[in-house]
Amino acid sequence: MAAADTPSARTLRRHDLCSRGIRLARKMRSDVADLLDIYVERQGLDASVSVAAVEGVPAAAAEHWSEQTGTQRLLDNLAAYRAFRALLAQMLEEQREQLGDADAALGRALAAVLLQVSAFAYHLEELLELESRGPPGDDGDGPPAPPRLSLFEQKLRGLGVLRELAQWAVRSVRDLRQLARPSPGPSSAPGMAEGQ
Amino acid sequence: MNTAPQTGLVLPELAGRAPEPSTSRAAEGCAIFIYIYIYFFFFPPATSFFFYFLAADPAVISPQDPTLLIGSSLTATCTVSADFHLRAEDLYWTLNGRRLPAASYAALGPTTLSVALARLNGSKQQSGDNLVCHSRDGGILAGSCLYVGLPPEKPVNISCWSKNMKDLTCKWAPGTEGETFLHTNYTLKYKLRWYGRDNTCQEYHTAGPYSCHIPKDLALFTPYEIWVEASNRLGVAVSDVVMLDILDVVTTDPPADVHVSRVGDLEDQLSVRWSSPPALKDFLFQAKYQIQYRVEDSSEWKVVDDVGNQTSCRLAGLRPGTVYFVQVRCNPFGIYGSKKAGIWSDWSNPTAASTPRSERAAGGCDPKGGEQNTTLRRELKQFFGWVKKHAYGCSNLSIKLYDQWRVWLQKSHKTRNQVLPGDKL
Repeated sequence: MAAADTPSARTLRRHDLCSRGIRLARKMRSDVADLLDIYVERQGLDASVSVAAVEGVPAAAAEHWSEQTGTQRLLDNLAAYRAFRALLAQMLEEQREQLGDADAALGRALAAVLLQVSAFAYHLEELLELESRGPPGDDGDGPPAPPRLSLFEQKLRGLGVLRELAQWAVRSVRDLRQLARPSPGPSSAPGMAEGQ
Repeated sequence: MNTAPQTGLVLPELAGRAPEPSTSRAAEGCAIFIYIYIYFFFFPPATSFFFYFLAADPAVISPQDPTLLIGSSLTATCTVSADFHLRAEDLYWTLNGRRLPAASYAALGPTTLSVALARLNGSKQQSGDNLVCHSRDGGILAGSCLYVGLPPEKPVNISCWSKNMKDLTCKWAPGTEGETFLHTNYTLKYKLRWYGRDNTCQEYHTAGPYSCHIPKDLALFTPYEIWVEASNRLGVAVSDVVMLDILDVVTTDPPADVHVSRVGDLEDQLSVRWSSPPALKDFLFQAKYQIQYRVEDSSEWKVVDDVGNQTSCRLAGLRPGTVYFVQVRCNPFGIYGSKKAGIWSDWSNPTAASTPRSERAAGGCDPKGGEQNTTLRRELKQFFGWVKKHAYGCSNLSIKLYDQWRVWLQKSHKTRNQVLPGDKL
């Protein structure tokens, strides 16, 4: 038990968690890309349709990404994946309302990505625990329910959610890679410990 | 200090279908500009459309998400919000991404454009056709989903079975065209015939796409009425009612403990034994069994149909020195006096056994022709003597009798070998 608290053990554990997180994020990105293909086809949407912004969907784009602290990276990621968890659950429910279990392939793919998002959020919580920071409280319900959208708006919102999630998966790989780097000292900007 | 440059827009090892997130280290004052630049880098307006989600609805389509019969016509209108300073002539329509001809448009006012769609085909996807109103630059102003199809048809061919009288599973076939274009929902309902109230089955797709499983709370000795309701956006269709008693549709687990063993040294036979289904041991019922067997290198099963209600059987006429796979299944019928034929269980898992090798075929040990004739004559003579003693008249003569004799012969060989080692017939 004592060994678990030593700096080297913590570094090893952080490195291990980051490596596993990177693998999870890569797999998630690949699966979201496949899901996007199915989604666009089943909804009859043009793949080039752009959804400028969707309320409640966290944007992957960051203005000062390189200057973020390790803790901030983890907190941003966690907030995003918690939001995606709620949004994907809502999409799954809407899809079942509309099509029942008829479109099993889309339903399965959505459910699989939802599971991966949940697992990744849990993984981020573990990393925050390691930092003795602890994850922020999760109200479990995510953002407040958006106003009732028309069916066409639901289609477009789903597309926006999946596209943004694909971008987040890429950003998460970079974030975790930053975190996995050995930290030169407790006060340096991008390291893990500086956020405490 | 940062240890590596962070400004790259594309990660080489991750570059793929999804665009990269933008990661900028621009100065504070330029941040917003760069963000917008990056956004437009990935979504250039020349090749894609924008949907104004955060703003108040730029336009409204009427009717919103209508349901229509195949062959019907529709006139839809797109009315642009005054805030957007667009006029009817600035708008155009697409259906599933294809631009609709201007000849089908009519300006109903300065900011309202209609489109007339005649003789609609069934929806291209069950999630609805996308009828979209665009501004001149291609931006999406509003959308409406059209659901075009046919009402559902009556489900047919309802069949049900109860595993060990504990549950009930039913399957049915959908109507032929009712769900081609529109999602159709199926609900299996059931009630006790004379005094029950309607119940709805909850566990669907348990035995295929059109099936439902009722796990418990089923009554015996009273018939059930069972039917299926199909519904879609255009209506409801109800199947004919099927009447059944659980006792008449019972099936069971495959027979347990299937054992296959040799019959002494008989090279052409195997003995099969099994236990009756344990789940039905407390019920009064009869059972029929079937056996099927095949050689190891063949996929063709031979079925033994006349096993009756015995729990053992001997397979004869097999190839010597060959591995056989054997399966058994059970049909429980006549449960508490039911007159129905019963439903066969699944086959048991295959059990394998091999017949003994033929000694005569074993190379140099094969006797010469003359010796073989003499042996055969002696055996036949012995067989007829045995028949005279054990069979009463010719009516009982069958291959089984011959098999019994072969077993007896083997036993007597063994006994003699033990008493007089080296002695020959």
